[in-house]
Formats: sequence, structure tokens, C-alpha cells
Amino acid sequence: MLAANETDARPVIPIAPNLFELSAEGARLIGSRCVKCGEVTFPVSAFCPQCCTETTETIPLSRRGTLYSFTVQRFRPPPPYRGPGEFEPYGVGMIELPEGLRVTAVLADEDPDSLCVGMEMELIVMKLFEDEMGRDVLGYKFRRVHE
Amino acid sequence: MRSEEAIREVYVLGVGVHPFGRFADKDVIEIGREAVLRAIDDAGLPWQKVAAAYCGTVFAGPMAGNKVLARVGLTGIPIVNVENACASGGSALRQAYQAVAGGFCDVALAFGMEKMPRGFIAGNPNDWFAVMGLGVNPQYFALKARWHMANFGTTEKHLVQVSVKNHQNGALNPFAMYRKAMSFAEIAQSQMVNDPLRLLMLCAPNEGAAAVVLCSKEIARQYTTKPIKLAAIVLDSPIYGTAEVPHISVSARVEAPTVTMTAAEEAYETAGIGPQDLDLVELQDTDSASEIIYTEELGLCQRGEGAKLLDDGATEIDGRIPVNVSGGLLSKGEPLGASALAQVVEVVWQLRGEAGRRQVNNARTGLTHVYGAWGNCAVSVLQR
Repeated sequence: MLAANETDARPVIPIAPNLFELSAEGARLIGSRCVKCGEVTFPVSAFCPQCCTETTETIPLSRRGTLYSFTVQRFRPPPPYRGPGEFEPYGVGMIELPEGLRVTAVLADEDPDSLCVGMEMELIVMKLFEDEMGRDVLGYKFRRVHE
Repeated sequence: MRSEEAIREVYVLGVGVHPFGRFADKDVIEIGREAVLRAIDDAGLPWQKVAAAYCGTVFAGPMAGNKVLARVGLTGIPIVNVENACASGGSALRQAYQAVAGGFCDVALAFGMEKMPRGFIAGNPNDWFAVMGLGVNPQYFALKARWHMANFGTTEKHLVQVSVKNHQNGALNPFAMYRKAMSFAEIAQSQMVNDPLRLLMLCAPNEGAAAVVLCSKEIARQYTTKPIKLAAIVLDSPIYGTAEVPHISVSARVEAPTVTMTAAEEAYETAGIGPQDLDLVELQDTDSASEIIYTEELGLCQRGEGAKLLDDGATEIDGRIPVNVSGGLLSKGEPLGASALAQVVEVVWQLRGEAGRRQVNNARTGLTHVYGAWGNCAVSVLQR
């Protein structure tokens, strides 16, 4: 899901090609599924790491999963990290998706200290920083589902 | 696969280390040279007998091994430089082992040295996941630690205990970086870095060197009365499906054994022993939780019982299976290329009965283990 109005005025660019797609229903990560063994990987990979053959097709991944493990990043990572000038600790988690993989991601969570293994999480795509050309660079994160 | 007939027994003839720490007045080549000279001196044979050399380093730059040995003596031997992250020294040792075991030479040297940048290791500028804030140590170790805690009841108290134990041991090791015991409270209240890992539960990148001279049985007979057999040295990379450092995603469908499990199994089989035969273990305590997890993966206890093994006191210096009596990486720091070799040096001293105040009583068999980026893992077994 893209935060409202965040991309209206300025040109945007994903942090890397082919990681996620944006549609009316919300953001989804793009993965690969092997047509032979069914193994699903992220990011997109032409070859199946299980079969060691180029037998994959591209598929959108589920938006929701469960928190398999997590940590809180308490110090500013060394370069090439590009976060806000004023460092704020952030969560990092492994989110298990129904397709059978665990995606490692930064967590967009205002209170990472209250995270628990097993929580339901959802994908969001959001602005990470502004690049040298004045474009908003978009990346993916997960956050807990509030219902 | 190896053919049994072609394999010769390999022995450790000499070992040497340059202390681990920070040494502003020395370059990395000098640090490496001192370890090599000590190992040659300990081996008790002339440098001219060494017929092949393998150098493990990550940060010392191209041809670092050649630069070190140019200050030891140019004798025309093959010198191979090996970069394999935390397993660089273990990889160099394996090459030296193969040279002797395969009959290509009778005496081979493995050494490694580092002078690492301060602080957490920086990422590759082209890695988009590092730009986002992923891919930095010790994130992945923290993720493993949290998972272990959530599934096996390991607690923060256990993480502190590992660090207390290893710093107690390190206080007895003149070659360690931190030769100082640390209290439970000091560790438990140190700065949180990556929950649940605190600063004093983490090893520091630093400087240091280690060297090991290997030889054939015949040479060992001639030069030493305390031969230590290098019964196995295994280097494995991971099988698809396990969570290695760094990961953008990991399979949840595939249940593959970890690289530590496969390397240990192969090492036990090659040496013809099992984990129950070990008298001490030096393993990769990148952080406190890693020590607990690797005691399980090396088969020192059942899966999920690493914290219990610790609670029982089994891994202490006088316990059933002492772990990291050198003080481990937590006390020594981790100069990548030297790390695995320094573990081997420690085990050799222990098996010879030369470990001073941290001597394990009547140690006969020891194991070393390193693990690093991309899942490179080296495991050795030493016997007297």
C-alpha cells in the first residue's frame, strides 16, 4: 500500500528493478516459482535454486504473512545505508509468506519493542529517501496488521 | 570424494600467534610475519623445509601472503592467497592439509592475518538491501537468536552467561584482546545493539595473526615428541534452503541441515570419532547466541538444549565439554583470516598440555569451528 499523496508531486523510482509492483489493490512483492518443484524465491530469479535449472515463472507474492523472527536495529548501519539524517531505531524481521518463503525486511513499525514472533504482518511500499536527482526512492517494508 | 589409499596422515608440527587486539605501530604484514616466525620456531625445523604456503586474509589486500613471506625468506615455494570470509584461515589450513595428505609435499604452512577497519563491517555500495538498512552485522545473528529464544526457551540470562564464561576464560589468555573478566551486570546492562544482542555479547573485528606448520608422519617423528594429528579439516558451503548471512529471503519449505551440521558430520566421520569423544571445542561465538546454537549443531547436545548445556556448566573449563576455553571470539576478537588458525593453535596447546592457567585436564581430542559470510564453514578435529 502506498501512503496517500506521497508520490503525487515528484518523480519516483524503485530502489531496485523488479522487486515489487503497485496496483489499485496495493503493493505486492514479485517472486519466482519453479514450474518443476514449486519452490518460490524472492527476489525474481531465472533459475530455481532447488533444481538448479532455469525453470521459473514470475508470480506476485502474498501481501500478508507472519513474523518468524525479528530484531531491532539500534545503531545507524554503515554505508551504503541511506536512512533519515536523524537515526531512529527500526525493526528488521523475517516474514513467512504462504508461498513457503521467509522474506527478510525492514519493519515499518512505530513501536518495534512490542513486536512478537507470530504476529500477522503486511507489505507496504514507501518512500525511503530522496536521491541525487530529486526522485523519491521507493522500497518495501512490512508492518503489523491492525484489525 | 577422497580415496582412502591416497591419504597420508597429517600432523601439526608448529604453531604460533600474534596477539589479537589493536596495534597502531605495526602493519598487517609485520603482524603476519611474527606469527609465521613463531610457528617455524615452534616446529623446530629450518624455514627452508617448508615446501608450500597458504595465506588466509580478507582485508590485507592482494598478495598479502607473498608480502609476509618475503620478510621470512624467498625460497621459491608456491604461495597461495585465500579469501573466504570468516573461514579464510580454515580454508588455508585445508589447502595445506591436502598438500601434505596428498603427498605433494612433506611440510606445508597455513597462516592468516588481519588489520580490520574499526566498527561494524561496511556493506557493498551496490547492494540495494544494504541501502534499505538490511545486510549489516549482527542483524542476522540477532534474528537467529530471537528465533531460538521463541522456540526453545533460551533467555537473555543465557546470552549473558555465555559472555561471562568466555570473558572469564579470556582473562587467562595472554593472546586475547580483552584479558578481563566481566560481570553479569556489566554485560546485561551494556548497550543494546540488535535485540536481543548487546554490545558485550558480540565479538569485535580487530587485528592479529596465527600460523600452523603441518607435516607428514615421518617428519613429525623426526622433529617432535608431542605430535598432534590433524585428523580432519573440512570446508563446506551451505546446501540450498538454510538461512545464511546475508539473506533477502529463505525457503520455508526446504528443511536442509545447516552448514555447521554437514561440516561437523563430515569431520567426525573422517576422524572416526563422534561428539562424545571430544575434550574441548573452539567454536564461532560471533555472539553469545551463536555459541548456544552451534553447541547444538555440532552435536554436543540435542537440538534446543544448548541453553541447558550451558546451565549445567558442561561448557565451562572444568565441565564435561569445555567450549571456547581460549576466551572465544568474544574475548579474542575476530581477525577473519587468523581466527580459525588461532582456534587450531589453542587446541594444539591444550592437547600438548601447554595452555597454562586455562589448561583442560588431560585433553586428548579437540574440535574447531568457524562460520561466516555466505555460510562458509570450516571444522577441524585434532588428536594426540
